[in-house]
Amino acid sequence: MHELSLATGLVSTLEGLVREHGASRVIKARVGLGRRSGIVEESFRFGFDALKLESPSLRDALLETIVLDGDDLILMQVEME
Amino acid sequence: MCDTCGCHALGKEGGSSGFTVDVHRSLLEANRKQAEGNRLHLERLGATALNLISSPGSGKTTLLEHTADALMPGFSMGVIEGDIETERDAERIRKKGIPAVQLTTGGACHLDAPLVHQGIHRLVEHAGRDNFDFVFIENVGNLVCPSTFDLGEHRRIVLVSVPEGSDKPAKYPATFERADLFLITKTDLLPYFDFSLAEARKEALEVNPDLEIIELSAVSGQGMADWIAWLRNLRN
Repeated sequence: MHELSLATGLVSTLEGLVREHGASRVIKARVGLGRRSGIVEESFRFGFDALKLESPSLRDALLETIVLDGDDLILMQVEME
Repeated sequence: MCDTCGCHALGKEGGSSGFTVDVHRSLLEANRKQAEGNRLHLERLGATALNLISSPGSGKTTLLEHTADALMPGFSMGVIEGDIETERDAERIRKKGIPAVQLTTGGACHLDAPLVHQGIHRLVEHAGRDNFDFVFIENVGNLVCPSTFDLGEHRRIVLVSVPEGSDKPAKYPATFERADLFLITKTDLLPYFDFSLAEARKEALEVNPDLEIIELSAVSGQGMADWIAWLRNLRN
């Protein structure tokens, strides 16, 4: 369930990046999930997909996840336009 | 493939005016920074802070009540209680004469560093003093989610009670991997449950070879001396 609060953090970070780069929307975000992070990918994705609908610049954003070593959750790359 | 998550569209790239930005920013960074702030804050109070993580009902509050009896003459303690709702745990601790504040998360399944920061300020205000030997942070009853969030503690303790079963370290490895001490509680109930101390120890150490393990029963008192010695040792 904590994945929802982490997904909220991703949404606000992406919204900040859109503003910062003068973009109109996010096409795709790549996120690295630490193997030992205790974060469930499906729940994180579910949270993000629910939250993004509330945000005009993220409505169609795709979330791509890759597994990393360690215990962090890292926004690695964002594709915008 | 499904329409809900958009996975059907993954891989369809190009043809747009898109650009890619390398970000490499931790989404846990904000919590981590606040946790570092909490640690410094707790150290200024002279406190060693302990984050207690377990399922609901494993005996965290009961352990703290009995710990107070053993520690209180020589050491001062304060307690920050985390629960989804109610003040009940803090009230139990206050009855022992220990300053305790309750953080209610209003639904969230874990404490995070910003919430604990509020808790530290409230504890100082409630206690009317700014020095403690130990600050115990009793996390929301949950063996999974709290493990992701550093609260600014100095040591992390995971508890499993005998009725829960000895397979918990194998089932919830992330929590055990990040703990310093594993307390097996309610050992007075061992005759009535199919709990293997050997299995629990072995599987916990497989996940985290540095984990210290203490078996105890707060009610019978068995093992409490080891726990108190472990705590006292943190202050030496």
